[in-house]
Amino acid sequence: MNLLAIGAGIAAISGIGAGIGIGIATGKAVEAVSRQPEARGSVMQFLLLGGALSEATAIYGLLVAFLIIFFMKP
Amino acid sequence: MEIGQSVVFTIPIFGGIPVTTTVVVTWIIMAILTIASLIVTRGWNQVPTGVQNFVETIIDALNSFTKDALGEYWASFAPYLGTVALYLILANTIDLFGLTPPTKDLSATSALAIMSIIVVIIASIKAKGLKGYAKSFFEPMPFFFPMKILDMFTRPLSLAARLFGNIIAAFIIMGLISKVVPIVVPAILSIYFDLFDGALQMVVFVFLTMLYIEEAVE
Repeated sequence: MNLLAIGAGIAAISGIGAGIGIGIATGKAVEAVSRQPEARGSVMQFLLLGGALSEATAIYGLLVAFLIIFFMKP
Repeated sequence: MEIGQSVVFTIPIFGGIPVTTTVVVTWIIMAILTIASLIVTRGWNQVPTGVQNFVETIIDALNSFTKDALGEYWASFAPYLGTVALYLILANTIDLFGLTPPTKDLSATSALAIMSIIVVIIASIKAKGLKGYAKSFFEPMPFFFPMKILDMFTRPLSLAARLFGNIIAAFIIMGLISKVVPIVVPAILSIYFDLFDGALQMVVFVFLTMLYIEEAVE
């Protein structure tokens, strides 16, 4: 169980990448809106898409952690 | 804490079909939506008043949202997107009423994702015709064929895994918090984890489905 817990913890590290990705995406979106406030709607759409796509990596890490905990019984 | 769904009862035919909480809660949501739509749409007339105003505003917002993205094909796909949105907003936030959210089950989210990809394929065939759809696998050059085939599987996978992962993560975190601090704190955090995250995941699912349809009809 100990090694399984460590493995699940390592899988959850993938959250770092998603955090950085969403941070960069949001920062750039704020820049774009402050440059062109009238393009707010379309920037918002791309931000939502980019956020959802980069968040997917964290979700895959979470899924791997769940699979390790629940389906790899020692 | 268990990742699988608990079985409520078993239908005693074909050697017993187990009925899980997912199915039962989905039935409850179906009943809520059906009864609510019957009650809300009663006694409507040409000039809207009260509830009718509110409902028409929401439908208008959905219609203009899809019209912007899909162009001339919006009328065929707005009802599907609206139905999925209504189901998902109820399913994601039903944890507030003490029921297990059905989207916590990977089977339920997979079913939704497969529905979405079938709608995307239908949209593509409708826009390009059967021949044009077959040809679209080899565009811009035949080299892309394996990637297009792979795309058919990764899209529903990522749709299903995203919804499932977000909802189960919120569910587990809420469970842990209410074990550590049983009063006050879970109520405040459930505004984020149940209401905001549920609504956001609904928007993301509907938006991504619409984006795939938009790409298909172009």
